[in-house]
Formats: sequence, structure tokens, C-alpha cells
Amino acid sequence: MNVFNGIFGERIFKAATLSALIFFILFLVGIVVSMICYISSDRFISILFSKEIIFAIKLSLITATIAVLISVAIGIPAAYALSQTEFWGKDIIDTILDLPIVISPIALGAALLIFFSTPIGSGIEEHGIKFVFVIPGIILAQFVVVSALCIRLMKSTFDAIGSRYEDVARTLGCNKFQALFKVTLPLAKNGLLAAGILTWARAIGEFGATVTLAGATAMKTETLPIAIFLSLASADVEKAIAVILILIIISITSLFAIRKIAGSGWSI
Amino acid sequence: MIKIHDLDVDVGEFHLRDINIEIKKGEYFVILGPTGSGKTVLVECMAGIHNPCKGEIWFNDGNVTLLTPEERETGYVPQDYVLFPHLNALENIQFGLKIKNHSKKEIEKRVGEVTNRLNIKNILYRQNPKTLSGGEKQRVALARALIIKPRLLILDEPLSALDPRTHEELQRELKRIHKEIKTTTIHVTHDFEEAISLGDRIAVMNNGKIIQIGTPDEIFRKPKTESVAKFVGAENLFKGKVIYSDNGKGISRIRIHGMDTNIFSLTEKVGAVYVSIHPEDIVLSEAVCKCYNDKNILKGKIVNIMDKGSLVRIIVDVSIPLTVLLTRRAYLETELKKGSEIYVIFKAMNVHVF
Repeated sequence: MNVFNGIFGERIFKAATLSALIFFILFLVGIVVSMICYISSDRFISILFSKEIIFAIKLSLITATIAVLISVAIGIPAAYALSQTEFWGKDIIDTILDLPIVISPIALGAALLIFFSTPIGSGIEEHGIKFVFVIPGIILAQFVVVSALCIRLMKSTFDAIGSRYEDVARTLGCNKFQALFKVTLPLAKNGLLAAGILTWARAIGEFGATVTLAGATAMKTETLPIAIFLSLASADVEKAIAVILILIIISITSLFAIRKIAGSGWSI
Repeated sequence: MIKIHDLDVDVGEFHLRDINIEIKKGEYFVILGPTGSGKTVLVECMAGIHNPCKGEIWFNDGNVTLLTPEERETGYVPQDYVLFPHLNALENIQFGLKIKNHSKKEIEKRVGEVTNRLNIKNILYRQNPKTLSGGEKQRVALARALIIKPRLLILDEPLSALDPRTHEELQRELKRIHKEIKTTTIHVTHDFEEAISLGDRIAVMNNGKIIQIGTPDEIFRKPKTESVAKFVGAENLFKGKVIYSDNGKGISRIRIHGMDTNIFSLTEKVGAVYVSIHPEDIVLSEAVCKCYNDKNILKGKIVNIMDKGSLVRIIVDVSIPLTVLLTRRAYLETELKKGSEIYVIFKAMNVHVF
């Protein structure tokens, strides 16, 4: 008789897998709770409404939104091409696309910084838009880090829809553009929206590339993650905690929004 | 007229070779073949979804080989219907007309026509096409294709996903609709009964090639190759006419074409029909005993015995030639020889009529 056979074995199995999950969740919740206990609510509110943090919140929301809008504008056609079109070298491009996702953001930021000291880069700096150590640098850094992720997520949405709907739409008289706008995009709407929100949440949290390219200047290029960095650097733990909690609130809200959207879509 | 000339197509694992087909205007043309024979790829190629690597496709006098799907005006009903999930049934049906910017009045008129014809008025506003039954989805997909008045209607396995009752009902309707509107139709199927009862002509396809094209009669009487014969199950297939049907008991008598032979069946069909009896459903007996309550008992003479390994094929002439299959073991237990007189016995319910 093996103890792992039968109903008793099933219970052991369930207990073992569930306890790993519960342990992990307790670990996360524990960290958050210990932070919340560290700071009084009055203090949290006064930090939240301080000039510096209001600036950081605004800057983060604005830069992340712009970076995501650019990512989506490029991402939708790029993801569509990657998902639905056959072309030579698709595998190579697919692999290259994973690079910004797995590579360290600080490496991407450093690469950008170095690029802007090359003749082409400094030409752009002088005659076009200035990026280094200013706000456009934040947007560029966030864009570089999240755009590939955005394309990946959108590609999987298009993959799930497949090409059958468009094939049929085209036999009914749609050209390629009509098929995209009348069929595929309406079907992809929720998936694309969820991809955008997830990308946005990731952009809000971006630190490595931002700090390298745009620097960490208080009240100038201070996004929320950079505010945490600056608070810790000046040993202001309460401020750091307050900003961390703000980031957690933003993230949780985004994730719930994604769940809600994902649950309300057309099942394909 | 549709003409396919020397077509080669490569799509994924499907390789179609030397496809030559001519379909007459208004014809109901069936492509019959086993799963994986490339039927779907062929019809999708006609709809413009795949491009051939060689050969030409002509619609009437125009070469459409290089045209995109929207330039071909084919009505395509895929096997899995592919109804647009973000539109309700009515919006699905209107789709092709709205794209072409037809007037509201025209759209309304044509929707009325097609929904009347297909009997789907009551489901038009069902919000999500997922809630439709298989037969309803099929009708909506058919309406969506018919409403654009296609030059060619393509039906890919339109009946195979349906339960037997809906299958039969829709099969009758396909026949009726084709009679009414006479659109040139290609119907893809793996079911030979479907093919024989619907098709004006049939093309048998296997392994990416067309093996034989002909009227149902030609295909089933004179299968060109053994694989066609095997696939169409051409044994014990006869033309006949229902001459008496007693719907109270559900038993009809069918007179085999040109013969005195009568066969009883449980069909409710009337008029000219095809009759088939699967060889394994027939029992041989040297004497008739009262214990048989089978309806069909015919006396005949063994004209041929073919030993085919584990099965033995016996041809009995009962004024029509009937093929009977016996296991080798059962055969050895009898003393059947060529020329022996024998009774063939089979149940009315085993007589397939279509």
C-alpha cells in the first residue's frame, strides 16, 4: 500500500501544493503589512500631498502614458505583422524582440546614453529633441524598455484570433484594411487594452534605464521609482515607504482593471 | 462556369497536384474525399484564401487566379462556420452588404429574402452567436454567404458537425435552396451518402489529387480505382423507386430499377432513391425458417467466392448481385460453393435509402 494512492494521497498532494502558494502569498503580504505598520496614516498623507511627491506622481503618470501611447501606435501594426504575416527572417525578428524584455534595463539606458554621445546621437540632441538628463529621456527610456513587451502581448492577442475571421470577411467583400478594422480590431479590442494597461504599469515602475538616461534630479526627472531611490539615498525611510505604497496601489488597480477587461471579452 | 486548370497548391502539409475541374453554371458539384485529402485547401484556393503555385482558376470568362478574395465574389461557408463573435446573427448576415455600402432598403429586402428562405427569422437578434445551435449557426453562415449573391457558393462539410436529425433536415434544405436559386455550388464532404443524394456530379479526391469526376451513378457503378471503390463503399448500391409506403408501420417497398426485385426499408422517402445494404449486415442461410422476422429474404445463387484474407467475399445473384462478407472462420464452417442455392436475409432497418 502506497500512502500516495487514493483519497488520502490526493489530500497530501493538495496540501503540499496549496501550502507553497499560501507561503508565497503570506511572504508578499507580510512585506507590505510591515511597511504599512512602519508609517502612520497622517505621515503618509502629508508625504503624499507634498510638492515633491505630487510632482513625481504627475511626472510618472504623464511619461508612462506617452511612452505607452507610442508603444501601442507602433505595437499594433508590428504585432499584427508578426502574428499574421509570413515573411523571411520572422524567427530572427521574434528573437530580437525578446531581447529588451530579458536584458537589464540599466544596460538599455546605458546603451541609449552612449548612443547620444555618438555623432548621430549628439546631432539629434542638438538639432532635434534633447533627451539626456531631461523629461523626454524618461519617455524614451520607458518606451525602449516596455515597447517589446507591448508587442509581445498584442501579438498573443492576434494569435488567439487567428486569420480565419479575416479570411471569411474577405470572401464577403472586405479588403485587407476593412477586414482589420471591421473584424480583427473589434475582436482584439479587449486584449489590446489589457496589453496597454500592463505595459503602462510596467512603464510606471521603470527605473534602471530611466535613471541612466534621464538621471535622478529631484523635482526635475523625478518619477516615482526615482523618488524611492532619492529618499533612500537621503535615508528618509518613511518617504520611501509612502512612495512604495503609492506604486503598489497603482499596480493593483491596473491589474484588477486587466482582469475585469479580460473577463468581459468575446470568447473566440 | 468554373474552370480549374492544372492547379498545384502547397499549404502547410497539403500538396495538391494537377487539379483539373470544370463546373457547369448552376451545377451542384460535390468534392468527396477522406479527411486530410486536401479538399478544404482546394476550395479555399478557389475562394482566394490560398494562392496556387501553378495553374489557373477561371470564373466564366475571367481568369481569377491572381484576384484577392474580395474580388472573387464567392460565398464561403467554412466547416466551423466562423461567425463573427462580436456581431449578432442579423449583423453577421448583413456584413457583406454593409461593406459594399448597399442602401438600407436593399439590405432590408435581401435580409428578408434570405432569412425567409432559410427559416431563421426568429434568431436574428440573438446577441451572441455562441448561443446558437449547430444547425442555426450553419443557417446563419449560409445566409451570410448567400446574401451577397455569390458567383460560386462554397460549402465546406456543411453537414458533418450536425446531429443526425438536423443533418437530414439541412440536407433536404440545401437541395431545395439550390433548386430555387440555382447558384453554382461546391459542396465538400467525406460522406458518400451526402454526395450521392446532393451532387449533380462528384469529384473524388485523395492525397491532394482528383481521382475521378463523374455523375453519382458513374462514380458508384464504375469506380475508376480500388481506392475510389473502397472509399465510396460502392457495394450493394442500387437505384430504385419507392412504390409503396406504409407510413403507419414505417415500412416501404422499393422496386429496384429495371428489376422485379423488391426490398423493404424503414425510409419515409418517396420517389426515386438509392438503396444500399452494407455487406456485413447480410446473413446467408441454406433454408428459411420461421424464426427469421427479417423483412428481406431473397433466394439466389452464389456466383463468386473471393478469399480476401480474414474476410471472404461472396457474391450472390438474387437477380441483382449482392455482396456478402463472412469472416473466414464462419465461411469454413459452411459448405458454400459456387453455384449453391442460398437465401440472403437482411433487416429492413439495415437498408439505407438516400
